[in-house]
Amino acid sequence: MAAGGGEGEDELVTPGELLGDSSGLIAGTGAYVAPNGRSIRASLAGIRCITPAQPDAADQRSTVEVVGHKAQGAVPQPGSVVIARVTKVMARMASADIMCVESKAVREKFTGIIRQQDVRATEIDKVDMYLSFHPGDIVRALVLSLGDARAYYLSTAKNELGVVSAQSIAGATMVPISWTEMQCPLTGQVEKRKVAKVD
Amino acid sequence: MEYLDSLTGFRLDGRRPNDMRQIRGEIGVVAKADGSALFEMGNTKVIAAVYGPREVQNKSQQVNNQALVRCEYSMANFSTGDRARRPKGDRRSTEISLVIRQTMETCILTHLMPRSQIDIFVQVLQADGGTRSACINAATLALADAGVPMCDIVTSCSAGYLSSTPLLDLNYIEDSAGGPDVTVGILAKMDKVTLLQMDAKLPIDIFENVMQLAIEGCKAIAQYIRGVLLENTKQLECCRGV
Repeated sequence: MAAGGGEGEDELVTPGELLGDSSGLIAGTGAYVAPNGRSIRASLAGIRCITPAQPDAADQRSTVEVVGHKAQGAVPQPGSVVIARVTKVMARMASADIMCVESKAVREKFTGIIRQQDVRATEIDKVDMYLSFHPGDIVRALVLSLGDARAYYLSTAKNELGVVSAQSIAGATMVPISWTEMQCPLTGQVEKRKVAKVD
Repeated sequence: MEYLDSLTGFRLDGRRPNDMRQIRGEIGVVAKADGSALFEMGNTKVIAAVYGPREVQNKSQQVNNQALVRCEYSMANFSTGDRARRPKGDRRSTEISLVIRQTMETCILTHLMPRSQIDIFVQVLQADGGTRSACINAATLALADAGVPMCDIVTSCSAGYLSSTPLLDLNYIEDSAGGPDVTVGILAKMDKVTLLQMDAKLPIDIFENVMQLAIEGCKAIAQYIRGVLLENTKQLECCRGV
């Protein structure tokens, strides 16, 4: 198998194989920049795939990726938006199981913690956790950091973050009526949540 | 004992001094593992299974900025000529586990998977010399099958020096002759040595020849392993109907 260099969309590569030069390419998934800082090599076995940069991107280099290997489960990273299910609500924090990272489902269990100061952007000291989340709520959150040894730190301190789906005591899926309230369509009861603004 | 035929220069099993045994690799032999492989070098046969990257089981071992690589080497009771009951974690297998772990750790891009763990289990099904090398080759295949990012594929091969001749890929009889046995592991594309073991004394010029021979063996294995991986990728592609 010839080492990379030429432009080919469906060339098979194995780990260590040269994919190109970092002056013209950016290493995407399955590729890495060699310690010399110049050559880009494959780190996975799969198909080489080159995607040109967005026309308005600051960096005009194309991205080279290696795809087609066994899909690896998604892993939450600082800065990524995750979908999580609240498992436990405590006075100062709520714990949640992360189910999706961006749009990909995770393969194993990751736990996250939403601390009281990370629930909303304003009046962070007046947050009542019990009026923000309930166990079972589906929350969209931002991963702040890798957190402590047990859990990721999550944040819902943005308009588009917070509870996206919740069930009322009656068992129906509630409808958001404001950024702090949701209403049950069966009973008309209003419950407090930190509601996400969904477009 | 004569290890080389004085007339033809052939070895006991009919190979020439710089001949390797037949090698064969197969991917996906353990259904439950994330990646697995079988690797044969002549009559030596090992199986490797990779689990992970997954959450660290023992939190006290967790490393915050990179993945934890663990390796367990074991020999099946029936792997050698005499059926012997082997205690788990004896000196020899602990040492080989460590060697394999260190070798694989250098090629895995561990910094991409912080706070996770990768388990490599290798078991010798049939031992006929060069189990260390075969285990490393099997582990490489299994890791590539699991989709663990690696900077290059590591391959390993041994070479020895008997009857004043460097011999490639020693089998059990040649290995138990007690001569020097050099095990080399290299990153083929980067031309880097990641493993070098010898427990004997050898003059430096002869050592260099023997090591060079082992490196040639490693490169041949690397080429074969690449072939296996490419074939496997093609098959995966076929299954997806691309």
